[in-house]
Amino acid sequence: MDRRRVNGPPGGTTPPCYASTSSGKTHPSSKRTRGANEIRKIFLKTGLTPSASGSAYFELETPPTNHSNSLTNRTPALKLTCTVHGPRPLPRSAPFSPQLLLSTRVKFAPFAARQRRGYIPDSSERDLAAHLETALRGVLIGERWPKSGVDVVITVLEGEEDCPWHALAAGNQNGRTGGWGMMSILSGCITVASAALTDAGIDCVDVVIGGVAAIVRQPAAPAQLVLDPCPSDHEEIIAACVIGYLQSRDEVTETWAKGNITASSDGMGTTPMGFDALVDQAVEAAVAARRVLVEAIREGTEAKIQGSQIDFHAIGAALNIKENAARMRFYRLRKAIEEGEPGATPTKAATTPTKRKKDQANSDEGSAKKVKDEEVVDEAEGGEEGEGN
Amino acid sequence: MAIKPTPSTTTPHPPTFPAHTFAKLAPPTYLTAHLTSKGGPIRPSGRSPTQFRTPTCHAGSLTHAHGSAVVRCGDTAVVCGVRGEILRAEDVADYRPKAVEEEERVDMEMHSFQKVTKEKREDSEEMACLGLLVPNLELATGCSPTHLPGGPPSTLAQTLSQRILTLLHTSNLLSIHDLRIWFRPPASPPTRQGQEHEVMGEEEEMAKAEVKAFWVLYIDILFISLDGNPFDAACLALLAALRNTRLPRAWYDADRELVLCSDDPAESKQLHLYDMPVPLSFGVFEGDEEAKGKKWILADMDGFEEGLCRENITIVVGEEKRVVRIEKDGGGSFGGRDMRGLVELAGQRRMEWIMILRNGLP
Repeated sequence: MDRRRVNGPPGGTTPPCYASTSSGKTHPSSKRTRGANEIRKIFLKTGLTPSASGSAYFELETPPTNHSNSLTNRTPALKLTCTVHGPRPLPRSAPFSPQLLLSTRVKFAPFAARQRRGYIPDSSERDLAAHLETALRGVLIGERWPKSGVDVVITVLEGEEDCPWHALAAGNQNGRTGGWGMMSILSGCITVASAALTDAGIDCVDVVIGGVAAIVRQPAAPAQLVLDPCPSDHEEIIAACVIGYLQSRDEVTETWAKGNITASSDGMGTTPMGFDALVDQAVEAAVAARRVLVEAIREGTEAKIQGSQIDFHAIGAALNIKENAARMRFYRLRKAIEEGEPGATPTKAATTPTKRKKDQANSDEGSAKKVKDEEVVDEAEGGEEGEGN
Repeated sequence: MAIKPTPSTTTPHPPTFPAHTFAKLAPPTYLTAHLTSKGGPIRPSGRSPTQFRTPTCHAGSLTHAHGSAVVRCGDTAVVCGVRGEILRAEDVADYRPKAVEEEERVDMEMHSFQKVTKEKREDSEEMACLGLLVPNLELATGCSPTHLPGGPPSTLAQTLSQRILTLLHTSNLLSIHDLRIWFRPPASPPTRQGQEHEVMGEEEEMAKAEVKAFWVLYIDILFISLDGNPFDAACLALLAALRNTRLPRAWYDADRELVLCSDDPAESKQLHLYDMPVPLSFGVFEGDEEAKGKKWILADMDGFEEGLCRENITIVVGEEKRVVRIEKDGGGSFGGRDMRGLVELAGQRRMEWIMILRNGLP
């Protein structure tokens, strides 16, 4: 018993038991309405928690429900918030670390799932956090912050379900205790954490995006490969795979596959469905999600730039160029970002207006704000060579 | 707002500080400078001392909760979810059923306000005894750099949870009538032949309706972002979520000895809120060394101001500016005379909140 929280009645309580489900009467399950190659719409926004270094909110589109006449089988939409704190100095007691220490935490809100979840972290949350850490560690340029740490905290406000509701109610989960919903949640976590890290201005080699693909089978139909499976849409999921993908470098930082992949290639389908195909499809899903991520980062950065008045005079003075030249460089860079290929440039620009402290400051040029803006131009001149390492 | 130290002989240009550097270096001076500015006292956020932030509220966005709300108040953002679970009366240790009738609820609405007050208080006591309201407030979501997860809930989180629990019980916001699940055995049992004999023997006893179970409301309040005044934001989220709560119709199934619920949304019932207790938190700022003896009352403080005020006051007002609760700590510069004005102000805020709650809900 946790004495530091308000506890429920000592006798214990049970979640409501619905008459319709316990009597075996079921509603028809929802069906996937989008194509096999389509992912759900994503809403992504950065900067929701101003006091954190970086933050982002992620939401998947609410699936259309054609039977909203029941309280039991409303389909949830994945909702995540992420905050990034740091980089900040490690406590004095901590041993020396030449790299940025990353710590990730994933927590489900008590109302995130059908069963009320407690406040004490459970194994699935620790599992998600470990996977997320692997995915993010590969993109952070850790050696730029020795002796520092960064915390990535994700709260799952609403999770994804593991299987169709009627199967859950009937107690028949097809042996699907594995938690397919976790796969989508991890993919969302990777994307939202990436957006928040960029918002915090922590240098990354690229943005990492999560993608999920699964091999599913409807009754009396051959197995099929789909992107971004919503577990409550599918009768049976045979295997699923989550990846964390860097598009501009074509690298994968995290892979998590589950299920029986060989079982699907039993000659029923014509397309190959091995592990490679599954990963390829997950990459496809990640590429599709990337556009949303880049757009969200761009919006967030624009809001930041507009929020701060740029003093081109000071920038010009610092760079030994005329005020107008500084202004032109800035707009040229911005134009390049807006029109350019969604490769390295936007992410780079997004990481530049950071809260990094430069000591070559301020006595003659003026404010810290000016220094911040100066970096935008500064690093644009530096080009992309500095990016990759 | 900039400060210019006396120029030394070596540097031709004295260093100037932008406002936020000044605020970090000398917070009390910074705030005092704002409050003593020529155009009348104004806070760094641009508000006047007694002006509060206008909240926004969005209800019913969570699927798995019976009621939910998202509230944003300046840079403080809160999500509240209310979820009902069932407590069976037989699971309550030494539960003594009170002599209440199911019909009482109908009568109650006809009673005058004063008569009902005593009953309400008794109801609240019973609710507290049974533990039917379980509010928990979680700050460890990374909502601010000082509240990171890992470890037990912070002192602030524990205090706030307890304050909300107390407010729920003292304000008589909810009535236990909404949370009781009744069982009324059929008056004439011959429909079921197998059981006829048994039921006939106990007819005297069984004909009376009895409370078989209760709804327990788990109220979870999560902070997404924290910039001062967590209590007020949490309360608004709580009120909005409770207003949004619809509990399914529940009944006791004697054959299966289970409480069953109906999944038909049309049969679900909204919780009845008997009052709308609205809190307003203030801080008393005493100025820096130069402004000795002066004090300012700052309503609805943000995170920066909260760090500078030692004396905090929270006034909760209910209907017709009835003071539900006053909480005060940290100093003695503020007396009963000043309190009257604050109650007035809290009353104004209540009207504003009620408008927001009405418009923010479908």
